[in-house]
Amino acid sequence: MIRVPGLNRLPPEATRVAMRLAALLVLGVLLSALSSAFLSTVNLMNVLRQAALLFFMSSGLTLVVLTAGLDLSIGATIALGACVAGTVIKNADSAWLGAATALGIGGAVGLLNGMMVSLLRIPAFIATYGMLWVLQGLAYTYMAGNTVYGFPSGFRQLGNGYLLHVPTPVIVMAALLAIGTVFAQRTVWGQQIVMIGANPVAARLSGVPVKRRLILVYVLSGLAAGFAALVYLARLNSAEADIGSSLTLPAIAAVLIGGASLFGGVGTLAGTFIGALILTLVLNGMNLLHVDGNWQPLVTGVIIVAAVWLDLQGQRTRS
Amino acid sequence: MTRVSTMALALVLGAFAAHSAVADGEKIAVLTKNQTNPFFQAERVGAAKAAESMHASVLQYVPTQADSISEQLSQIDDVITKKADAIVIAPVDYKAIVPGIQKINAAKIPAVNVTDRSSGGDFVSFIGADDYTIAKKTAAALLKAIGGKGEVIVLEGVRGTATAQDRLRGFKEALAEFPDVRLVASQPANYQRLQAMQVMENLLQANPNVAGVLAANDTMAIGAMDALSEAGSKALITGINGSKEAIDAIKSGKMLASGDYNGFVQGCVGAMIALRYLRHEEVPKQVTQPTVVITKDNLAPYDVPLDGRQCPSWDQVPKS
Repeated sequence: MIRVPGLNRLPPEATRVAMRLAALLVLGVLLSALSSAFLSTVNLMNVLRQAALLFFMSSGLTLVVLTAGLDLSIGATIALGACVAGTVIKNADSAWLGAATALGIGGAVGLLNGMMVSLLRIPAFIATYGMLWVLQGLAYTYMAGNTVYGFPSGFRQLGNGYLLHVPTPVIVMAALLAIGTVFAQRTVWGQQIVMIGANPVAARLSGVPVKRRLILVYVLSGLAAGFAALVYLARLNSAEADIGSSLTLPAIAAVLIGGASLFGGVGTLAGTFIGALILTLVLNGMNLLHVDGNWQPLVTGVIIVAAVWLDLQGQRTRS
Repeated sequence: MTRVSTMALALVLGAFAAHSAVADGEKIAVLTKNQTNPFFQAERVGAAKAAESMHASVLQYVPTQADSISEQLSQIDDVITKKADAIVIAPVDYKAIVPGIQKINAAKIPAVNVTDRSSGGDFVSFIGADDYTIAKKTAAALLKAIGGKGEVIVLEGVRGTATAQDRLRGFKEALAEFPDVRLVASQPANYQRLQAMQVMENLLQANPNVAGVLAANDTMAIGAMDALSEAGSKALITGINGSKEAIDAIKSGKMLASGDYNGFVQGCVGAMIALRYLRHEEVPKQVTQPTVVITKDNLAPYDVPLDGRQCPSWDQVPKS
């Protein structure tokens, strides 16, 4: 077991998460003032369930970003995972086999990404961008323009079900958030991951197994994408080859709004969770207020930049 | 390691390279927009079937990245190099394709335009269905079915694309004919299922009494359908494309109708016209597909897998 020096010199993560929470609340108050439909249990549950899918994708990505890496293959992993797992669930009539397929594909993609980044030293952006194309191509070839749909209701509980009036994905999200936070902040492995991004030279010199930890974060990101593919299938009851392209950028946006730095070493899963909620709330609000479609991308873009800018201002003031 | 990955890459890319069907006679290059939309899959199968029955062969070209105009332009270069006898093309971008079409014209390869009309270049013929009319007729079917009154929501396609604009215009035109119907929201869901479901979930909070939903494609209609049924809404819903999934949903009563474009027939007719032209037979300058709104009452001919479908005979093709 290695003690990681330098960790207590990191900025106080708790303060930054609290700042984001405040931003989220301001947005919530604003929306409830503008739309009477906003502040209802059903609407808030909808928002949480929509945010859950985004959070599953961004959770593993947060760990990758902590190491100053990036995973652009998430959306394509979901597309391939959902298409193949969907076919398996239908043809083999086994949700478990389908789940193993999606997680297997995610894990394998992550392993390849991790090996390219750590062993071949290919920049993460390039390695995972190349992977995106390969996976997308495989998904297109595999589906040949078809759609796989209609899954057993037992499996669909993962996306559609409720436990004590709370949507299943929301409960899973809460569990993942708790486990992930403990992993990233309270375990030696988690601290080593943060350190690789904060100071790679110091990490190597102090004996952190950099390559193995890098492979680990990409595998976790792949597994998270594989799991997101399952939730997608269960929720949408179908999959086609082109579902991934619109998923990757919002996942990255959630991580960045959540306060993680692309330069590594900074970021929390709680922050990413709030980032996912902010993005989802913005879309929810625009729908409730019937904002014209031409303005929606613009509003989203401004909010992403503003969130990160406010964060930087906050850091400068504190330091 | 490097060699293995290069080989793997070559395999993956090889899967997308033009694959030809061997037959006697002419070689027709068929250029479609993407691998993902079932519409273009139907168009490819239709073209291949027509060519086969006329003893010719097709070379299929599909961009690896969906709707990539740069890829489609370089595929045109490839078609010219390979000296295909004729080309049947569904342009990814009706404006940006024009320089490519001019190259084809310069190489004296006859070109047939299908699906989206190119804004320039010389074509033997254009075969298409018009988005505006399809959207208008589909919307009219929904508005009649809800009794000509109540609240309606529109789910739009990708803003700025010709199809999305024309379909939205068609919807609005139909709405104008039903003064007691109120359009309470028109929001984009970008032809995507997940977005349609989430947008619908959101809109149902502000507009719980919606009576009908007009989706600009089937994928969005089905995404919205799930959100509606979960919220216990009885709203009727229509899509556009006549996809297999939509046919199933119409059959089981979950969806009211789908406007049909019939990619299969467009592919058939495109290849037939190209071959007839090469064989110096008479061809029409334009073929407009009759617009059909598929409902429970007329879905039988659509409830057949692609491989089992038959191209229309030349006499059945409308020549205008």
